Amino acid sequence: MAGTDYAAGTDYTAEADYPAGTDVTPDAVRLPPSRLNRALLAIVRIGVGLLWLQNVGWKTPPNFGRGDPPGGLYLSASYAVSHEVLRPYAWLMERFVLPNFTFFGWMVLLVEAALGAFLLIGLATRFWALIGIAQTVVIALSVLNAPHEWYWSYSLMLLVHVALFATAAGRYAGLDGVLRPGWQLSRSWAARLLVRVS
Amino acid sequence: MSSYLDLNYRKLDRAAIVLGAVSIMSAGFIFVHGTFQLVQISAIGLVVGSVLGLLAIAAGLLAERTLMLAAGAGFLVAAAAQLVMLSRGSSGFLGGNASTFSLWLALGAGLIALGMVPRPEAAQETSAAD
Repeated sequence: MAGTDYAAGTDYTAEADYPAGTDVTPDAVRLPPSRLNRALLAIVRIGVGLLWLQNVGWKTPPNFGRGDPPGGLYLSASYAVSHEVLRPYAWLMERFVLPNFTFFGWMVLLVEAALGAFLLIGLATRFWALIGIAQTVVIALSVLNAPHEWYWSYSLMLLVHVALFATAAGRYAGLDGVLRPGWQLSRSWAARLLVRVS
Repeated sequence: MSSYLDLNYRKLDRAAIVLGAVSIMSAGFIFVHGTFQLVQISAIGLVVGSVLGLLAIAAGLLAERTLMLAAGAGFLVAAAAQLVMLSRGSSGFLGGNASTFSLWLALGAGLIALGMVPRPEAAQETSAAD
């Protein structure tokens, strides 16, 4: 889909494309004015999708690294307690998450796999950008004070998801851009929901 | 009056072709190891990805949404099978990891979403003729 211009099928466009008096939805996100900008936004979205897609690969069920010595996801999660960032979060991890790690390990795997999948193809992108923000906060609260961590890594991760949300990045060379016109014509609740999350 | 006929169905078909091409290109990761190995692909994973990828490309070229749904369902079944194998503590015969699951989930969900768009008969014929 990269390099394909789906802008004509979407509900927003550059201001210059509409003469004064044209009925433009007031809350429409304005299209970045050039094909290059749209391509760059698609590259950012695909890159972030690949980030999640590759990094879900080291989440290995069924133990997720719980053992002696601990490793993998369990070790990362345990940093929330051993290298505390926020006391209430450390307490939550120690009391609830680490003792039930199989369940939470699966949740992490499924959420991150879905983040990789849906950001890669640009489907329901704004919803998944919000999930990406939440997951980045969770990761940061676990490992921010761990050895050899660079806090700007997580700040950048957070900010790039904010950018994906703000620009509705799935509308550029993503499936949101292809499917949204159909969703907008449909009156079903599912289509209306998809319009909002894309 | 707005209707589904206003949609450009060729974009849906083109998207299916791209998703199929991505699947076939991902087979190249069988030769990549280390930092840049985005997904873990084995010989059987290569066959699965290539066959389903070709099916998705054929679906796009023929503007055939049934084939899109079939290819999408195939990817989702492969993803689910990979996940079950991972839950047993190994890559299983598909030889992938959670990244492979994520990739096949992406392709499956994408093709299903494309295949679910209703198409009037006339529009389908026009699209195929183009």
